[in-house]
Amino acid sequence: MSTQVHATLTEEQVTEISEDLGEPEWLLETRLDALDALEDLDMPEVIRTPGRDWTNLDALEYERLVDPLDRAQEKDRIDAEGVDVLAWDEALDEHGDLIEDHFGSVVDPQRDYLTALSTALFSAGTVVYVPEGVDAEDVKVRTRMNSQSLFNYTLVVAEESSSVTILERQSTGEETDDDQFYSGVVEVAAGENAYVQYGALQNLSEDAYNYQVKRGHANTYGTINWIEGNLGSRLTKTSVETRLLGDGSESQIVGAFFGHVDQHFDLASRVWHEAEHTTADLVTRGVLDDEARSVYEGVQDVGRDAWDTNSYQRENTLMLSDDAEADASPKLIINNHDTEASHSATVGQVSAEDMFYMTSRGVDPESAKNMLVEGFFVPVFEEIAVDELRDDLEEMIAARLRQ
Amino acid sequence: MSSDQDHLKDTDTEARFEFKKEESSAFEAEKGLTEETVRVISEDKDEPEWMLERRLRALEQFKELPMPDDWPGAPDLSEVDVDEIVPYIRPDIETRGGAENWEDLPEEIQDTFDKLGIPEAEKNALSGVGAQYESEIVYQNMQERWEEKGVIFCDMDKAVREHPEIVKEHFMTKAVPPSDNKFAALHGAVWSGGSFVYVPEDTNVEMPVQAYFRMNSDGMGQFEHTLIVAEENSEVHYIEGCSAPKYAEFNLHSGGVEVFVGEGAHVQYSTVQNWSKNTYNLNTKRAICEADGTMEWVSGSMGSKATMLYPSTVLKGPGATDNHITIAMAGEGQNIDTGAKVYHNAPDTKSTIESKSISKDGGRTNYRGLVHISDGAEDASTSVECDALMFDNESTSDTMPYMEIQENKVDVAHEATVGKIGDEDVFYLQSRGLDDDDAKQMIVAGFIEPLTEELPIEYAVEMNRLIELEMEGSLG
Repeated sequence: MSTQVHATLTEEQVTEISEDLGEPEWLLETRLDALDALEDLDMPEVIRTPGRDWTNLDALEYERLVDPLDRAQEKDRIDAEGVDVLAWDEALDEHGDLIEDHFGSVVDPQRDYLTALSTALFSAGTVVYVPEGVDAEDVKVRTRMNSQSLFNYTLVVAEESSSVTILERQSTGEETDDDQFYSGVVEVAAGENAYVQYGALQNLSEDAYNYQVKRGHANTYGTINWIEGNLGSRLTKTSVETRLLGDGSESQIVGAFFGHVDQHFDLASRVWHEAEHTTADLVTRGVLDDEARSVYEGVQDVGRDAWDTNSYQRENTLMLSDDAEADASPKLIINNHDTEASHSATVGQVSAEDMFYMTSRGVDPESAKNMLVEGFFVPVFEEIAVDELRDDLEEMIAARLRQ
Repeated sequence: MSSDQDHLKDTDTEARFEFKKEESSAFEAEKGLTEETVRVISEDKDEPEWMLERRLRALEQFKELPMPDDWPGAPDLSEVDVDEIVPYIRPDIETRGGAENWEDLPEEIQDTFDKLGIPEAEKNALSGVGAQYESEIVYQNMQERWEEKGVIFCDMDKAVREHPEIVKEHFMTKAVPPSDNKFAALHGAVWSGGSFVYVPEDTNVEMPVQAYFRMNSDGMGQFEHTLIVAEENSEVHYIEGCSAPKYAEFNLHSGGVEVFVGEGAHVQYSTVQNWSKNTYNLNTKRAICEADGTMEWVSGSMGSKATMLYPSTVLKGPGATDNHITIAMAGEGQNIDTGAKVYHNAPDTKSTIESKSISKDGGRTNYRGLVHISDGAEDASTSVECDALMFDNESTSDTMPYMEIQENKVDVAHEATVGKIGDEDVFYLQSRGLDDDDAKQMIVAGFIEPLTEELPIEYAVEMNRLIELEMEGSLG
């Protein structure tokens, strides 16, 4: 695969990144191992049906997209009382052991080619540490990307009986001469009875390529809820995942996307039920205009020992243009019969009846359509705990409709 | 006796055997399926040159195509030994499917036959034992009725000789080309037997055409090819297989079914598969449906060790409709991977897929389906419903649908549910005096009703009996 980047990557570059961040030896080694592994790793899995690859990741010229030492970015970190929201170098100083315990424990640093690339090259990072019993609201991390490529890493550790709501957003600050590449890895460890809502809003430049993997481990009675908003980038490949490892743990994965022009969103929501009395709810709503294409995979995997499981999944796509394409594959893998599981997926356009209702009340068709599309996203908005995320997502959708 | 059998009898001489022996070194030199083997099959059937060419082309493709083993959660096919096919399919060797004597069949199969109350003649026909003369008569009678209407119903080998124009046009060209998948290619190279149905314009074959009586008539039912051509505004219901187990010594079944639904025509293809539980059942079934035509697939998969079967329909003309009803039941050691594929390639096309699966005693069922709506297929609508019932915690039930929607004026809905047998339902029935087993059997019978009501009554009754048998003693 000549288009891959590792031919031009060197250990020196990786070492330089690591040294600049003042990293300990074990982390440098993890990075170098990941670099070393690139050669043998495959691209993240994409869905293949007869004669079609739903997303072609091999076609990207990573060598051109990735400039490992160009790391320019801006970050705002807004913390809440009792919580540490720290930049990577500070976090290593203050919570070195915590990081060593958790780094790579949720997302395998060598899970696939792009994850390993991110492990080797990440230069920006944030640690959110919520100590036992602390309730924290509205932690915000805003990243503006000003470099050719940016590799970002986020670790959230929520200790026993703590709770936190987090907003992470990515946007483009300065564009570079070439298409940009953003890569993000997020690990969430929710302790016993901990609650984490992790909301993300991705609004990168529409020339950017975006790869993200977000994964959480929910302990006994723990809850991990994800909000995943995608509006930007030319091509996005993400997977949002929860392993329900503790009895009574829960997870919700809520997605919203709005693609236009020639945007391509490959989005996955995956949940593994691995303990008793666990609940999962996967909801994704998306709109496609122009020649945009969405690829959705939802996986509900119920393990042999997951007695008394409840697992639900819904995906709805609205097509505003005849040239758009919506592909969907909601999957159920059930190994325990003590399960109530369902999934559904629909694709359609704005309902003619709804349009008629609106226009008969004097609303012009354009406004009527816009209102109906905005209304379509309401079930997603309702799940968002951080106001800034909800307001911005609403605003961006409204703006895109009126473009 | 058909000329086919005459031919077999005439050529099945000692001298011919000797000749084959000379050739046997060629078989051994290159292990697996060789061109020579395919030539022998074709020659044995006295086939025209064009069919031999098609076989050889398929053989080339078989060698090149990969095994379908990289699908997520696909059945393990590593035990399928394609090399073993060679001795099996060589027409000069007497080890074709079926056992020599009724008594040689495994006990469980004899037992099932008895319990289903299948008459002796049918038993013989179904197990490939004997020449099934009694069923031949029934078959002949039916044939005369159809012939008056211009309907053709004969075995595929005969069709190749007697109706070459129709066969040449449709046989593994547009619907199931050998390039489709490895087992379609294998089928194309070594196919033998099967049925040919031709229904002329404006003809309605009121009564279902059944391949029931002629199963394994030439002992090579494992690679049978079925070709159904229904001309404009015609109607036919074809039923294949039966609910009694088909026993085969060799462990691979790879059939091919092609259906051409003309404008405004209506074809229903119903099949209940109950292969013995050592069989790998890898079929390719496809229909091409013209404007305003209707294709209906009704499939029940009960038997086999592993099944990979996804009946497909290409909705080619505007207003075409496709309906799928599939039922899968997997018990101990079984992996039933079934589903449906529909391509909406024209406006106003409709499809519905209704899938029901039951897994128990460690069995695994998987619904794997694809719905593709092409750009331009305006006002297409599709609805997919998958329901799975699980009996115990050793079993697995997967649902893996794929939807590709390239058109915006569509109505696409997919829904799936998985659950265990409802305690409440069982309690309700028990409180009315049924015991636990009967209650559960009744719930299952209700669960699969969408299939049974599509089948003629005698099949439906047998299906229900079969489910009862499958569940006997397995309920906790």
